[in-house]
Amino acid sequence: MNKEQILQSFLEDELFIENGYLKPGEAKTFKWTDPRNNNLIKVLRLAIDGIVSNETEGITSRKINAQLNPKS
Amino acid sequence: MIIESIELHNFMCYSGENRFDFTEGMNVIIGDNNHGKSKLYDAFYWAMFDQCFDTGLKKWMPTRHFGTEIISDKAIYEADSGMVRAVVRVTFKNVDRDQAYIIERRLTAVKKENGTAADKESEETVLFKEFDFMQGKEVTNPAEIDRIKRNILPDNIRPYMWFQGEQVESIIDFSHSSSLTQAINVLSNITRYDQVRELALALEKSANDEYQRKARAQSKDQGRSEELEVRRRGLVERLELLEKEELKKQDVLGEADEATQRLMGQFEDASRMRDLDAKQRAVERSLDEVSDDEKRERIDLHKKMFTHQWVLKGTSHLLEEYNAKYSKYERTRLQMFAEAQAKLKAENLIKEEFQTRLPINVPEPMYVNQMLDDEKCLVCNRPAERDSEAWNSIKALLERTTAKLEELEPESLTKHDFSSDFKRIQQNGYAMERIIGRVDSDIKSTFQKLKRLEKRRKGYSEDLNKVTEEMNSMKAGSSLDPTQAKNIVNELQAKQDLIKRFQTELGRTEKDIDVLKEKVKAIDKEMSGLVSGEMPAYLEEKKRVLEEFAIVAKSTRDRVFDKLVRQLEAEANKHYQEMMQGNQGVRGIIRLVESTKGNYTPRLTDENGNPLGQLNTGNIILIKLATIMAIISARQGSRDTDLYTLITDAPMSVFGEDYTIGFCKTVSRVYRQSIIMSKEFYKNETLRRELMVSPDIKRGKVYVITPSIADADRTNRNALTTLIKALN
Repeated sequence: MNKEQILQSFLEDELFIENGYLKPGEAKTFKWTDPRNNNLIKVLRLAIDGIVSNETEGITSRKINAQLNPKS
Repeated sequence: MIIESIELHNFMCYSGENRFDFTEGMNVIIGDNNHGKSKLYDAFYWAMFDQCFDTGLKKWMPTRHFGTEIISDKAIYEADSGMVRAVVRVTFKNVDRDQAYIIERRLTAVKKENGTAADKESEETVLFKEFDFMQGKEVTNPAEIDRIKRNILPDNIRPYMWFQGEQVESIIDFSHSSSLTQAINVLSNITRYDQVRELALALEKSANDEYQRKARAQSKDQGRSEELEVRRRGLVERLELLEKEELKKQDVLGEADEATQRLMGQFEDASRMRDLDAKQRAVERSLDEVSDDEKRERIDLHKKMFTHQWVLKGTSHLLEEYNAKYSKYERTRLQMFAEAQAKLKAENLIKEEFQTRLPINVPEPMYVNQMLDDEKCLVCNRPAERDSEAWNSIKALLERTTAKLEELEPESLTKHDFSSDFKRIQQNGYAMERIIGRVDSDIKSTFQKLKRLEKRRKGYSEDLNKVTEEMNSMKAGSSLDPTQAKNIVNELQAKQDLIKRFQTELGRTEKDIDVLKEKVKAIDKEMSGLVSGEMPAYLEEKKRVLEEFAIVAKSTRDRVFDKLVRQLEAEANKHYQEMMQGNQGVRGIIRLVESTKGNYTPRLTDENGNPLGQLNTGNIILIKLATIMAIISARQGSRDTDLYTLITDAPMSVFGEDYTIGFCKTVSRVYRQSIIMSKEFYKNETLRRELMVSPDIKRGKVYVITPSIADADRTNRNALTTLIKALN
């Protein structure tokens, strides 16, 4: 499974439709490089990327926090 | 990569030079117990991983654990003092590239007069042949050797490709969520989802902490906020503990549930056997009792000759005869008495007559005495000299005065008088008359009782024979004995009780968790209420995003896991159905049912999902084998079944011969190459013929191995070697 397939499997969660982040059926064709400005999807991408590239949990956490904290 | 050959030199029971060549398809090594199948399996494992299987410890142990046991006893025995060596060489061939890897392992021992000592470590040589026709080039870089070995057999796949029959149970342990997770992980990398979930949970927690800190900093009532935070922390700690406890309880329940399933499969047999055993014991007890009664009654039979006067049986006529004789005796006696009395009377009459001639006391005694003294009769005046007849006659006159009439004494009638004895005998006879009258009926009732006892004994004896026969046939058709059967019934009861108890406890824990969560929520609400002004928007957003991340991570992991379980289930069913083909028994469909969170239990159902009775051990093993095959064959986007060789020792030993051919067909269809050690084909000629001719089995090489000296004729292993015969 590549990163995109893993991401797609997360995006298939009902929450994305319920909260209006994705339209039905969109998850299956979602591209890794999709430029959509959604924090949850961005966080997922960082998490998957970190795990696939064998990053430590600390580094991935820092990247995610940096993504969600205000830019200084 | 396929295994082209294995060469064994003085390895365990393979004394001297031995070689097996293999091809694609299913290669089979046929041999009975103790013929060297497991040692061949050991040889593969030893060459690759420097370990052999300790059957006592039931685990793989390094070379140093075995020492000289690795080297053939014959080789050691026959060697002159000096070096003895065991060598195993396995050749792996990459058919597509015409390349080969040769892995050779050696163990050297030195034989001296006082014994043989093996090196602590074995030596390994790995050769790489870029083209099959070329000379092998030694690989010396340890990292490269590791890479080659992982390429030949990756670590995560190893348990499902190289295994022994007796390990099947533990390779897939449905009772532990980790066991199935591990298998699922081979199927697809579920650990990545686990890692995302862990990360999401950690981030959610830290975002919450950050939010709480900020909320406290902006609190209208710092003291209250601090107090709430302390309480919250305490609650969260308890919550974490309870969640861990919940997981443990779920594992225990899962384990108990699988054990229950396993036991339920045996319960029917076990319960019947236990009942039969109890019945057998009861019949044995009754038989003992009735036999004792009968024995006692038979012994009493002899005693009753005297205690119940049976000795008098048929003597009533004697009594009559005796009475007749006694009456005659009495009559005779009375007659004699009468006669004697008459005689006496007559004599007395005579006496009386004498007395009438001369009255008694005339002459008076003083005159008689005077006459005796004077020796002269004063009546006739004649002399009567002393002691003369006349003198004695005078003296008689004196005695006449004291003479009385005699009376008849009955005793004097006969010489011996038994009259009273005869009388007593007669009286005794009368007393016994009633007893003699009862003897016949007493004997009759006693014999009737004996007959009844004998009949009961025979009945119990027949019952016992029947029960014993039933028990023996049950034992023959089952792997259980009565003690095991009893244990199974008891264990099942205990497991069911445990499930009941843990379900209650789990329910309580879940309830406690919900209560704690509500409390935490209430504290969070109160803390939010204390915040003055607005919380920073980024923090609100971060908290929300990470909460959603945690939700998505958890549910996705569960969804993907469940999907993989279904995929595994579908693939396992495919193999299971194939293996069951040709078997008359109920086939059913395997369903992996989630008994508790993360724990799956296999169930056999019909097409509509209705359970098909309980699973027996054979079924469970077949399901596990099907699952093991599924783990490898269902790997997405891989050609694992083409890339790696299945090597398994006695995988079919735990299920019936009915499934053997089905298993072979499935294996030869699923795996490009397999090497199977089996005893099933050794004795069963029909199976062997089917193996050799079946068009549905893609055969590789088939060998029969036998020891040079039969097990029974072996006093030591000093001459033991293994004979290898190729059947094709």
